[in-house]
Amino acid sequence: MKANLISACGMLLATAAMGLPGLSSAYAQDTLKFGVVGPMTGPGAQWGLAAAGGVQIAAKEVNDKGGLKVGDKTYKIEVIPYDEQYKASVAISAVQRLVNQDGVKFIFGPVSSAGTLAVMDIVKDAKAIGVTGAYSSKALSGSNPYMFRVYSVASDFAEPMVKWLKKNLPADVKRVAIVNPNDETGWDSDKLLTELYGKHGYTVVGKELYERSVRDYIPILTKLLAEKPDLIDVGTAPPGSAGLIVRQARELGYKGHIVKIGGSGPRQIIEGAGKEAAEGVINYLPADEQNPCYKRLSDAYNAMSGNQMNPLLVNWYDGAYILMAAIQAAGTVSDTDKVREALTKVFPYKSALGGTIRFGGHDIYGIHNEFLTPNYIGIIKNGDVVTVGTAE
Amino acid sequence: MLSLTLQIVLNGLTTGLVYVLMALGFTLIFGIMRVVNFAHGELYMIGAFALTVLSGSLHWPYLPAILCSVVLVGLLGALLERVLFSRVIGNEFNCMILALGVSICLQSIALIVFGPDEVGAPRPVTGVVHLGPAVIPADRLFVGAAAILLLVAFYLFLNKTRLGLMMRAVAQDPEMAALHGVRPNLIHTAAFAVGSLLAGAAGALMAPIYTVAPYMGELPMMKAFIVVVLGGLGSLPGAVVGGLMLGIVESAFATMLGSTVAALVAFAVVVATIAVRPEGLMGRRA
Repeated sequence: MKANLISACGMLLATAAMGLPGLSSAYAQDTLKFGVVGPMTGPGAQWGLAAAGGVQIAAKEVNDKGGLKVGDKTYKIEVIPYDEQYKASVAISAVQRLVNQDGVKFIFGPVSSAGTLAVMDIVKDAKAIGVTGAYSSKALSGSNPYMFRVYSVASDFAEPMVKWLKKNLPADVKRVAIVNPNDETGWDSDKLLTELYGKHGYTVVGKELYERSVRDYIPILTKLLAEKPDLIDVGTAPPGSAGLIVRQARELGYKGHIVKIGGSGPRQIIEGAGKEAAEGVINYLPADEQNPCYKRLSDAYNAMSGNQMNPLLVNWYDGAYILMAAIQAAGTVSDTDKVREALTKVFPYKSALGGTIRFGGHDIYGIHNEFLTPNYIGIIKNGDVVTVGTAE
Repeated sequence: MLSLTLQIVLNGLTTGLVYVLMALGFTLIFGIMRVVNFAHGELYMIGAFALTVLSGSLHWPYLPAILCSVVLVGLLGALLERVLFSRVIGNEFNCMILALGVSICLQSIALIVFGPDEVGAPRPVTGVVHLGPAVIPADRLFVGAAAILLLVAFYLFLNKTRLGLMMRAVAQDPEMAALHGVRPNLIHTAAFAVGSLLAGAAGALMAPIYTVAPYMGELPMMKAFIVVVLGGLGSLPGAVVGGLMLGIVESAFATMLGSTVAALVAFAVVVATIAVRPEGLMGRRA
């Protein structure tokens, strides 16, 4: 009961903390509502806030220019964010509320895999367009043409990253340990990374799945380090948790390489691990932080929320513009089948950061519903993130 | 194998000592006031944030920062008791709902003030200490030592000071204590302050070890609940035994079989304890 009450209150406050976006336009004659469902609190909050922030910045830019012109009408964009707390049950409530009470037809999220899998039928039955952030391969399916994915996932960038590791790390790095959260996202990552490291000549000497609420990783690290790994991959651990894993592994005397092929958040890893412990951690990056546009978005997000931007915000920002382009091309805000068809035709799309976003996924999921965004590899050096390559 | 066993025990003891600190405050408040304080986890969180602000943002030295954090949370506890809980003492259900409301409010205020980001607090000590074949991070050893000091101080407070003895008297028989001139109002406020202070101390000590965030009190609160059910609700020795037992059991199962199994076993032990000995390991029979 307590958890539910806190959840409800957290959801309300998270919305309030966002400054009740779109309130000023709520009374405009024509309003187009975008829902956002992501974890706004808890260890995965960086990812949910990135989703909400990216969509809100894009909406604000469009509103500041007078609104989104669709056919002969111009719409103000209203963004309605809900906290899913990385829980499927909360994601269901949020999506049902968006669809049934708020009258939303376009939903960014859920961000979590468990949440996305739980709401797939709701989105399909409501004929709403869902743009998920789920890493799970099951989030896209030929039987559900209404669900899209906003960015490339581990199955797209993991192999290029493992190849990069093989090429750039010393040849004596052979033994790999993998740590992931114990849920749909983590299971997928665990399976994929085990397969890829094995395929490229590494030996997976240990694997651990942990509960998301856990903050003390010393017991599982004690077990893993007994296997003497040369490299630990923290997979899809949320950045805050990954930071603690990095720090606690170093405290136990681990001196090997640490890699994160999964949900990005190098700044939060530095915050959680401390500058010294985080030194040398190799990260998947969804955006090149040295790009001037990155700084513009980072400043906009900081001005809006007072928080530090997660790089994934770039993907959600691009995703919002892609969906708006499709709505304009379809010439309707109500016929989602037309918008869905139009979405397939707006690619290739130029990312705000300059790279090209393509459309794909058919070979893996049986449907072309994934926005294939550019991917980068970054290393933490002196408390900063340096882009060292691409993972295409 | 010997080094792994030693490592498991050391990991369990350092974790268990923090559980003990949390559970002691929780069970003290229940023992004296019959309040199931659901806001105990949020007092832990406020202790952690206070240390982060004082030590991290205001660059206070560690010792004054932690002392001030602990005192602040103690004062907050006293204030909560005076302003809110004193009005519903005697009605356990109302107390429970009030505690729930306070918990939600404190967590939400922290969310508004500090935001949802996890932040790190400066660490008082760094490096590792080698104890035979086992390795223990110096900051965890520091927390363990500080927790033991606090436990000793708490024991002396309860057994050697007039206020402590009055608290025990009220816990054992409030009416008889009142007949002997003990003022229950004063004892309630003092007990709530001391209980909160212990939660604040646990939070402030753990802030440099984990990251600090508004929701961080939920898990320690749950652990405190498990510990007091294990040890016996209202039993202070039970909280010590239960806390250390939980720490070691969790450490052993998390190391050997993973954190999911460890959580399962922790609850299975609680269920088994309730089934066999409903009053807990060291609780009094009703």
